[in-house]
Amino acid sequence: MRFLFSILLICGIGFGGVASAQTTGKAIYDERCAQCHGVDGRGNGAAAPVLMPRPRDFAAAQFKLRTTETGSLPTDDDLIRAITYGVPGTSMPGWQKFLSTADVAAVATYIKSFSPRFAAERPQGIPTVAASVPGAPTPQTVAAGKGVYDKLRCAACHGTDGKGTGAIATDLKDDAGRPLPATNLTEPWTFRGGATPQDVYLRFRTGMNGTPMPSFVTAASETELRNLAAYVLTLARKPVWDMTADEVSAFYQAQATEAARDPVRRGRYVVSTIGCSYCHTPVRTDGSLVDGMLFAGGQKWTATPFGDFVSYNLTSDKETGLGAWSDDQIKAVLTRGIRPDGSRMLPYPMPWPSYASLTASDLNAVVAYLRTIPPISNRIPAPTRPNIVSYLWGKFQLLILKKDMPLVTYPGNAGSAGGE
Amino acid sequence: MNVRRVVKWTVGVLLIIGVVGFLAFLYLIPPFTLMAPEEFSGPEAAAANVVKLDAIKDPKTRALAERGKYIVVTMGCVDCHAPPGPTGPDFARYMAGGLKAAYKGHGTFVSANLTSDRQYGLGRRTDEDVLRVLRSGVSADGGRQLWYRDMPWAWFSNWTEEDRVAVLTYLRQVPAVSHKIPPPVTEGPMTYDSAAIEEGSAVNAGTTP
Repeated sequence: MRFLFSILLICGIGFGGVASAQTTGKAIYDERCAQCHGVDGRGNGAAAPVLMPRPRDFAAAQFKLRTTETGSLPTDDDLIRAITYGVPGTSMPGWQKFLSTADVAAVATYIKSFSPRFAAERPQGIPTVAASVPGAPTPQTVAAGKGVYDKLRCAACHGTDGKGTGAIATDLKDDAGRPLPATNLTEPWTFRGGATPQDVYLRFRTGMNGTPMPSFVTAASETELRNLAAYVLTLARKPVWDMTADEVSAFYQAQATEAARDPVRRGRYVVSTIGCSYCHTPVRTDGSLVDGMLFAGGQKWTATPFGDFVSYNLTSDKETGLGAWSDDQIKAVLTRGIRPDGSRMLPYPMPWPSYASLTASDLNAVVAYLRTIPPISNRIPAPTRPNIVSYLWGKFQLLILKKDMPLVTYPGNAGSAGGE
Repeated sequence: MNVRRVVKWTVGVLLIIGVVGFLAFLYLIPPFTLMAPEEFSGPEAAAANVVKLDAIKDPKTRALAERGKYIVVTMGCVDCHAPPGPTGPDFARYMAGGLKAAYKGHGTFVSANLTSDRQYGLGRRTDEDVLRVLRSGVSADGGRQLWYRDMPWAWFSNWTEEDRVAVLTYLRQVPAVSHKIPPPVTEGPMTYDSAAIEEGSAVNAGTTP
């Protein structure tokens, strides 16, 4: 009887423990993970359309960073490692400073509930991976690794110099069909799974599920993959924080030369970091950006007492976007707040006084990139001004009564394409 | 009799001039669209008046800070991170924070003090604390995940780590301003509907202790 009671008690505690881990995991996930990965784990959180690379889709259950066979699920430790230490080169932070190991484990458990695969399958571990500790690289292993780099045709994507500019690098896409640039192997601080010889070897051995990076387990031997890791790590250049002053200057000079050679690439970087899509994309009621409408404009505000403003369509559409604008017209808006019809903008919501400081070469790059954004037809209404009485009354409240003047953001698309 | 009439007229005319003048003043005071673009003092001028990068002795720090300055200026960080005033940001207290955004149901958030002040600014944060916010939107205070529409960290996460370090190097050069920022008041998830109003373009929510 006492035995039975004990069993029941243990089961009860066990069950209670699982249930509370699930609740804790969900609570932490909703607070700290959902903004990027989405409440339902589909990698479609509010900020997701902006992030490069995109946040992981847990429902698709394709995990890049594993110690398991290609195509397999990750182990619990794999998930826990990514949550604890973060993923370099991405916006995924390491949570070790803010979450206990129990909390991290609870989140990992909750993440597994997004895909039925975790209940149906077991991760296929690789016994040799944990056992084998790579020796320090030697000139011989590095030279051999160079041969493996050629044999496995790594240069097709990563380039002969490892800078990620191989012949087919621009055509690469992930499983969801989104463009995915080949990793620049000269910047090991951005390696998603870490930059120790063991980390690098693991990516060759396990492949990166959901991406064009395959496992080379059948194409090369264990030793060859170890040597390849040794070679790849020799491609590294110095990061700016390790450079001397002269090296930093030379590095920035080289970047400027590269930007002039490939303005579209530089322009994509400037646009993706400077925040154009914050305003130039419709926003849903829950504050998420409408994914398919990036840069199509249509976000509307009322800035009392100045009137209503709708963000413009920045796509290359000839009728409703920037397609028919000249380079100079785009630059006049960006740097001086002067529209093609000669009318003037306020210094906000469009922050052109900031963009006035862009260098001539960056301005060219931004224009070059905007021209490559596929057209979306979305006609944007002109700003509307309040009548003179409301305007003066508004300014009186603002300047004399020191009243907080509301800035209202409207959800949905105020352009002709409508929709959300 | 005549004197009274003159006084009456004079007072009347002065009154009309006063009212019209006041209305004209209201109409014309910035920000106003008839102002020439060159007359707006943008973030670059704001930075130039306060942050003196030429004084940095170490040439490497100076090179990184110059790069960081370019990013911070063109990004317009100061548009939110300067104390707001009725005619625009108070650039004299460069990066001292205090712009309030209040949303019904979502909460009230005030832009942080990014100066090197050790009590209220970034001076109290480690390098990694600052980089983490700029990379992942995770605040050093308890690891709170900042909402990407309050602080647009999602775009800054696209900076290369090298540019992010340059931004940090620049921010470390911003002179301290003692300006206390109230902690956020979080109510719930963001909802934009007709009732959700963002407030606070004119009034500084920070305090000078």
